[in-house]
Amino acid sequence: GLIRFNDLYRLYEFENGKTQLFNSWGVVLKIIKHYQEEGQGSEVVQGVLLGLVVEDRLEITNCFPFPQHTEDDVDFDEVQYQMEMMRSLRHVNIDHLHVGWYQSTYYGSFVSRALLDSQFSYQHAIEESVVLIYDPIKTAQGSLCLKAYRLTPKLMEICKEKDFSPETLKKACVGYEHMLEEVPIVIKNSHLINVLLLDLQEKSMVADKHELLNLSSSNHLEKSLQLLMDRVDGMSQEIVKYNSYCRNLSKQQQQKQQYLQRRQQENTQRQSRGEPPLPEEDINKMFKPPQAPPRMDTLLIAGQVNNYCQNIKAFTSQNLGKLFMAEALQGHSS
Amino acid sequence: MSRFFATGSDSESEESSSADEITPKATGTTFNKQQALLLSDDEEDTKRVVRSAKDKRFEELTNIIKTIRNAMKIRDMSKCLEEFEQLCRAFLKSKTIMDKEGVPQFYVRLLADLEDYLNQLWEDKEGKKKMNKNNAKALSTLRQKIRKYNKDFETEITSYKENPEQSAEEEEKDDAGSASSSESDDDDDDEGVTAKSLLKKKPQEEEKKAPEASKFLKGAADEESESEDDEESEDWGSDSVDSGSESEDNEGAAASLAEVFLKKAQDGDKQTDRKKDDRRKKHKKKERLEEEADEEGDGEEGGWEKVKGGVPLVKEKPKMFAKGTEINSAVVIKKLSEILQARGKKGTDRAAQIELFHALAAISNENNLGEGILVKIKFNIVSSLYDYNPNLAAFMKPEMWKKCLECIDELLDILFNNNNIFIGENIAEDSENLAISDQPFRVRGCILTLVERMDEEFTKVMQNTDPHSQEYVDNLKDEGRVCGIIDRLLQYLESKGSTEEVCRVFLRRIMHTYYKFDYKAHRRSLGLQGETKSEQDQSESEGEDSAVIMDRLCKFIYAKDRTDRIRTCAILCHIYHHALHSRWFQARDLMLMSHLQDNIQHADPPVQILYNRTMVQLGICAFRQGMIKDAHNALLDIQSSGRAKELLGQGLLMRNMQERNAEQEKIEKRRQVPFHMHINLELLECVYLVSAMLLEIPYMAAHEFDARRRMISKQFHHQLRVGERQPLLGPPESMREHVVAASKAMKMGDWKTCHSFIINEKMNSKVWDLFPEAQRVQEMLVRKIQEESLRTYLFTYSSVYDSISMKTLSEMFELDLPTVHSIISKMIINEELMASLDQPTQTVVMHRTEPKSLQNMALQLAEKLGGLVENNERVFDLKQGVYGGYFNRDQKGGYQQKQGYQRAPDQRGGYQQRQGYQRDHKGGYQQKQNYQRGGYRSQNQSSY
Repeated sequence: GLIRFNDLYRLYEFENGKTQLFNSWGVVLKIIKHYQEEGQGSEVVQGVLLGLVVEDRLEITNCFPFPQHTEDDVDFDEVQYQMEMMRSLRHVNIDHLHVGWYQSTYYGSFVSRALLDSQFSYQHAIEESVVLIYDPIKTAQGSLCLKAYRLTPKLMEICKEKDFSPETLKKACVGYEHMLEEVPIVIKNSHLINVLLLDLQEKSMVADKHELLNLSSSNHLEKSLQLLMDRVDGMSQEIVKYNSYCRNLSKQQQQKQQYLQRRQQENTQRQSRGEPPLPEEDINKMFKPPQAPPRMDTLLIAGQVNNYCQNIKAFTSQNLGKLFMAEALQGHSS
Repeated sequence: MSRFFATGSDSESEESSSADEITPKATGTTFNKQQALLLSDDEEDTKRVVRSAKDKRFEELTNIIKTIRNAMKIRDMSKCLEEFEQLCRAFLKSKTIMDKEGVPQFYVRLLADLEDYLNQLWEDKEGKKKMNKNNAKALSTLRQKIRKYNKDFETEITSYKENPEQSAEEEEKDDAGSASSSESDDDDDDEGVTAKSLLKKKPQEEEKKAPEASKFLKGAADEESESEDDEESEDWGSDSVDSGSESEDNEGAAASLAEVFLKKAQDGDKQTDRKKDDRRKKHKKKERLEEEADEEGDGEEGGWEKVKGGVPLVKEKPKMFAKGTEINSAVVIKKLSEILQARGKKGTDRAAQIELFHALAAISNENNLGEGILVKIKFNIVSSLYDYNPNLAAFMKPEMWKKCLECIDELLDILFNNNNIFIGENIAEDSENLAISDQPFRVRGCILTLVERMDEEFTKVMQNTDPHSQEYVDNLKDEGRVCGIIDRLLQYLESKGSTEEVCRVFLRRIMHTYYKFDYKAHRRSLGLQGETKSEQDQSESEGEDSAVIMDRLCKFIYAKDRTDRIRTCAILCHIYHHALHSRWFQARDLMLMSHLQDNIQHADPPVQILYNRTMVQLGICAFRQGMIKDAHNALLDIQSSGRAKELLGQGLLMRNMQERNAEQEKIEKRRQVPFHMHINLELLECVYLVSAMLLEIPYMAAHEFDARRRMISKQFHHQLRVGERQPLLGPPESMREHVVAASKAMKMGDWKTCHSFIINEKMNSKVWDLFPEAQRVQEMLVRKIQEESLRTYLFTYSSVYDSISMKTLSEMFELDLPTVHSIISKMIINEELMASLDQPTQTVVMHRTEPKSLQNMALQLAEKLGGLVENNERVFDLKQGVYGGYFNRDQKGGYQQKQGYQRAPDQRGGYQQRQGYQRDHKGGYQQKQNYQRGGYRSQNQSSY
């Protein structure tokens, strides 16, 4: 527990200055606690963020978790629960406005269709809402990882249209980079808490901070690689699908062209014979273009792959630093 | 008639029976009437045969009309409709007669009545409502039909309607059903009596025929009595009267009647036919009774004559030769061809025909007409035995089959005893020489075909017998006789037949030899134990080894045969036989030399089944010899399909009816291999799974992290997965579970557990004891398990060791040191194990150059990314249409580098080799042997 406080404090110092989203420590701690209590391994915990919009900032002042529900109570109504919860909070005079939701992540895997859909519905209802992604594994390694995302307006448009065909995506110029925009986070505390944190920092031992210097990296890397590989496989499949679609399309185009030519020839002949030309409308009926595979999945996968890569890159560069440090230390001592 | 002809006591009781029928009913009637009745009975006898086409047709029509009237009475419209349609059809059939005779009154009457009736029903709304749906529907259809139909008969119907009375009367006379005759008008009871007596008559008639048949059996000896029969028949009329009077006195004899009837009831197939005849005749008789009553005497005489002409051929047969005819070969031949002409015709009694042939054979034998004719007749007997079953699917009845065997045996006897008989298919009918003369006999017919057909019939019999019944065993005993016949034929043809024929009969012989394990030879090869056995055994074991026979026969076929099929079959059988007797190398070489794998798919299904059987036997043989890879490769094709049962022709798989209709199913059923030739499927599967285990487990251990790892055996993996899916793992029960459990143990390098799972009592009784050399196979298996477990252990745990003493290993796996040494050396040479041997200390020193899991992962990722890039480029390709400049550059530049980084060129080679192995499964068996592994590891090394 202690170290985490220290980390949190540090983060506060680093991130100070970039204003966009204010987050209170209470919220962060609640999220962490939620995961600690209910999340395990690759399981994901989710909850609701409450807060206010103040000028150009979104202040998140409170949150509550979605209950983990088992298969036994099928008739559990989540909406009902949320409303109930917010009403209760209102009674005790806490900010009760819905401003988004949070979710834990497993090795940075969160870019999924589910996230896209629910974030879209949030943003559709409340424009300012964000999703907070909390990475417990990284946090456990010594650096708090909490990120806020919003869907870009372009993506919102597309989602509204529900049209994920290759053409629309191309027209909209939405790449995987432009799907989500990260919102900077600033974590603010009451002064009292700040004081407490500083106090704790004073008291904490050096050994507590050593976790940062942990060199055993292969496990994390392996997991990330595995996940990455999985996504790469998915990507390959999507590409193959798209590829076959393209091929079918072009083949059909060719056939259509040939047919058109033949029809034209026939028509000229008919004209010379004085007969009425054959209509050309039926061609479209004959050549129905093949169903285009939705490209949204590919985009999501690409985004996810990108995400993993960023993670791995950050991780390895950190580790490299550590390794150099260790090497230097060893050389020094020997 | 013939009742007079039959032996005394019999006829007596018959007489009394006929009397008995009548007396109780007719007690009140006068004698005169009785007589009349009897006369009418006789009348019927004669008229039965004489029926003009007109009568036949009319009778048919009246029958239908009667049913229609009945249906009308009970308002069964659907029945009405049905019958009406039939009536129309029948009417059409008799069109020619109608044209001549005009439309009969009763027909018109029915049409008119029916229409009236229908209209009446139609009007009756209430009644219609009550009708059920079917009936109502039938009513409307019928109404429409009859309206349309009646237009053709408009004139007749109107005339009928104008004067219904007259035409009705007119018909009354014709109509059989209404009254029997003017004679019986005064007596209501009479009709019933007639009918009854007629019914009872049936058995009698059969009786009459029975003596005929028996007479026929007795053959020529009875000829005299036949002529007597003729004489007697002339007296028939008066006789019957006498019998009538006699019968009254004979009442006392009634008791014995029952027996007589009982006996007759068993009288056989003809009964049903005759019953039908009788029924028809009954009608006719009544119709005709009136007009013919006056000319009775003459009619009888004439009728009798007609009987002779009209009776079907079979019944006529007894009078094979007229009395006093000098029986010589010409007559017999003529008779023979006469009989033959009836062959294949509808209504010919096939059983009777066979009897006829037998009788003829007896006659010719008696008269010493020479072997030529006898052979000819025998040929015909056998072929008519084959003909007995109308369709190909049915199999012979046991008695037929026995007869067939006997007949062929006799035929062969004759052929062996008489050197001067030439037989052959190519001898023309007219150049036959059957009579005894100086010239040798020449007979048309092919004994080989007969024997081949017999062999097929034998297979059919076996296919159609329940393999688990005693009957099957009994039938199987005939196999010896079949073999004997084939052997004799073989001897015969070797001296007389053409090479082609010899090849064919050789193949038959081979087909009966190849699947049998030669225990005698086996025992002899094991030492001289056979000599201590009883004398019988000794004498048995003196016979030629089946291997020698096979060799001789097959080689002859290889040299002389000109049809591909016989050679192919012979080769396959030869291989099978070799494999069965563990002569692996001969079997394999023969298989490889024959190049059968290349073109077997063009062969017909039975040959393909034989090929599959051979392949399987080859695989099992390889397994017994410890050639695990070969065994696996040979069995892979059959086992991987999961349809081993079907492919080996040992049973049909349950499949949807869409995939296979009844016709196909019949064909497939015919292809089935008889049960005694089956290859044990469980044994087969076990051998396959164990071989797969011995190959796959070390391979899996060696390539644990290899993304490109390929399964050697999909089926084995499937079994493993099934094992894993089990929620609760109890001790193994089935053979598969045993193998799966053993595999798991082997994965851990625990050879002892593995051993105990593979070889234990259960498995012994299920599988291993089925091998003739069970002990040897088990020893081989233990050794293989030890070796492969050692390899697996080294693959799995080498990363844990820095070095390991070979002595320890040899103790762990209970292998002697040199073996351990050789196994490890082989692994090192194949670069499967990164280690070196330290000679002085007898230890294996690990190099520890195996990639770590992270490294492995990175390699995998790289590979996957390569695939991704390739796919991506393909998309790009499509966009560009052609290999654009950008792409070209890419190919030459960065991308190729990437490829290089993925796999070093030598890696490629290694990988391809493995692929080659995979491909080989489909292609030649030959190539499969270059199965190689390794290579890949070396790449890994080089890339680090």
